[in-house]
Amino acid sequence: MKKTLIVAGFAALMTTTALADGIGVSMARFDDNFLTVLRNGIQAQADAAGLSVQIEDAQDDVAKQLDQINNFIASGVDAIIVNPVDTSATQAMTDAAAAAGVPLVYVNRQPINVDTLPDNQAFVASNEVDSSSQGFTEQCNQWAAAGKTEVSVYVMQGQLSNQAAVQRTQNYYDVMDAGKCAVKVNIIDQQTANWSRDEAQNLMTNWLSTGAAFDGVLANNDEMALGAIQAMKAAGIDMASVIVSGVDATQDALASMQAGELDITVFQNAAAQGGGALDAAVKLAAGEAVEQKVYVPFELVTPANIANYLAKN
Amino acid sequence: MANSTHGLGGLTYDPKKRTRAPELNVLAALILIIVAFEVLGRVFIGDSFLFNTRDNVDTLFNEQRLQIIILQVAIVGIIALGVTQVIITGGIDLSSGSIVGVTAMITMSFAQVAMVNGNPNPKAIFGPEWMDLPVIVPLAVGLACGLLAGLINGWLIAYTRIPPFIATLGMMVAARGAAKWWSKGNPISFPTESYAAIGKGMMPVVIFVVLAVLFHLIMTQTKYGRHCYAIGSNEAAARMSGINVDGHKVLVYTIAGALASLAAIVLSSKNLTAQAGMGVMYELDAIAMAVIGGISLQGGRGSIIGTCLGALIFGVIISGFTFLKLDAYYQEMVKGGIIVGAVVLDQWRQGKRGRG
Repeated sequence: MKKTLIVAGFAALMTTTALADGIGVSMARFDDNFLTVLRNGIQAQADAAGLSVQIEDAQDDVAKQLDQINNFIASGVDAIIVNPVDTSATQAMTDAAAAAGVPLVYVNRQPINVDTLPDNQAFVASNEVDSSSQGFTEQCNQWAAAGKTEVSVYVMQGQLSNQAAVQRTQNYYDVMDAGKCAVKVNIIDQQTANWSRDEAQNLMTNWLSTGAAFDGVLANNDEMALGAIQAMKAAGIDMASVIVSGVDATQDALASMQAGELDITVFQNAAAQGGGALDAAVKLAAGEAVEQKVYVPFELVTPANIANYLAKN
Repeated sequence: MANSTHGLGGLTYDPKKRTRAPELNVLAALILIIVAFEVLGRVFIGDSFLFNTRDNVDTLFNEQRLQIIILQVAIVGIIALGVTQVIITGGIDLSSGSIVGVTAMITMSFAQVAMVNGNPNPKAIFGPEWMDLPVIVPLAVGLACGLLAGLINGWLIAYTRIPPFIATLGMMVAARGAAKWWSKGNPISFPTESYAAIGKGMMPVVIFVVLAVLFHLIMTQTKYGRHCYAIGSNEAAARMSGINVDGHKVLVYTIAGALASLAAIVLSSKNLTAQAGMGVMYELDAIAMAVIGGISLQGGRGSIIGTCLGALIFGVIISGFTFLKLDAYYQEMVKGGIIVGAVVLDQWRQGKRGRG
């Protein structure tokens, strides 16, 4: 009798360990448009492959994310996928996973230690350097095509603590410095709207109240571009006279582009990033070697090719 | 001898020791800040903050700037009206920002159009039978969300006797979770024309002003308002004098919840989208507006006028910093300083009156 109980107990223990297998995912946040598409990409691919994934929300908190990774390690997952809250805080995560011998894949945001990752860790994302630079170069071409030689613009930045915001803004300057912009660009003002449509609407209205003439808006993401557009429409500005660019190619942005308001956006393939990360995690867990840096390309979206993207994000 | 002594304490009444109405101090601060921006603008960037300097427009003031100053604080201002009456009863409401998030998500789901630019709505939450509904449906659903959340807050505080801080903190976390759960984090967009009209143009300001006048009258002219002040000044005494304190608290928090949901409706309509992260930190901005406006966190003191002035100070600072082309870092630092400064001044004034 006693023996049966012990066997049953062990059997129960073994089932719980079996259940704990699978892949742990820690996302920077659940309420972000783009990251949600990415998260759904991971989930969809896992469901299709019959894998169990557990996805946690780090709520933009570096400390919480590290705790989640340690919890995953403690519960014996096969591999971990991390969408880092803060790209400069990834060394501790790499160390924790490496010490436990658990494979780790960073997704979407480039970790600061990307060049020194151990063999069983990898990174899947799009190269932010290609993001807004593609859109901005196209914007310059459109101004040139409209016969302009010198333009004045406003720049809307994402959250200042975020690497993507810094990089996407830097891209504008790099394009200008490299002489890749077909016209001379004067930046009237550059401010943050924290990726938010509402803040962008308020910021744009504040800019409009200064009465300065401008030819376009460069926004770090689509949400802010849409906020700027809503403010300009409210002020009665003809959307054909300004060129607005964003990044992400969200559904809202594509609808706005179809309505002739948003001119340029850049598609970042969230589902492909999520799927690529899961793929890398599964291979690493099986002990196979993988490409340590996988770049999923950004793609330029304008009214000319919008039809290809309507069903993607 | 009529005004020599009052009550058993025998305190002497001296008209010279009466302090000014706190609202006057807030108004003075507001004017001071506006003047500071005007001067800084003229000195450093050679432009006027308040007055029109454009040739193609024929107005004395820069009307666009005056509009955005109020427009950008109107939505949080609506929340602040509800928070003000909560604070006057000696309570606090930390849940309003999250109620905004969850209400925006749920309301927008009932306000979607079926077709966008000739394609089916890519962000559809429900099937076509739940789309293109009359605007009254999302309005009713949204208000019901806020009323329910507020009712739970009030019930917890009045009948389980847990501190308001804890009860509304719980609601803050839970409601934010619900906002993310509703569509699994996906934003909800493309509302009907009639829903979009609620927050269009200066409508948020109109709604805010109407509500502010209404709540000013409620707080100053009705029994409801007097009971708020009575409970906040001395809850035990209010109970002894026969006021239904528990019932009143439930009502106060329910109204605060309803105002938060109204703010959510205006916000999602203005932005033509609902996102689970909407309203983050709004509760603290609303509390800060009230506190800057002279509402005492100890309860029993303050007015709707004060809160409105506090909201205006917020708006002036945001616009002023954009006008001076200064970065957001400074904006937040100054905002923090003003919040603390306002309370320090208030405490100091209270202390002086106590000794007087």
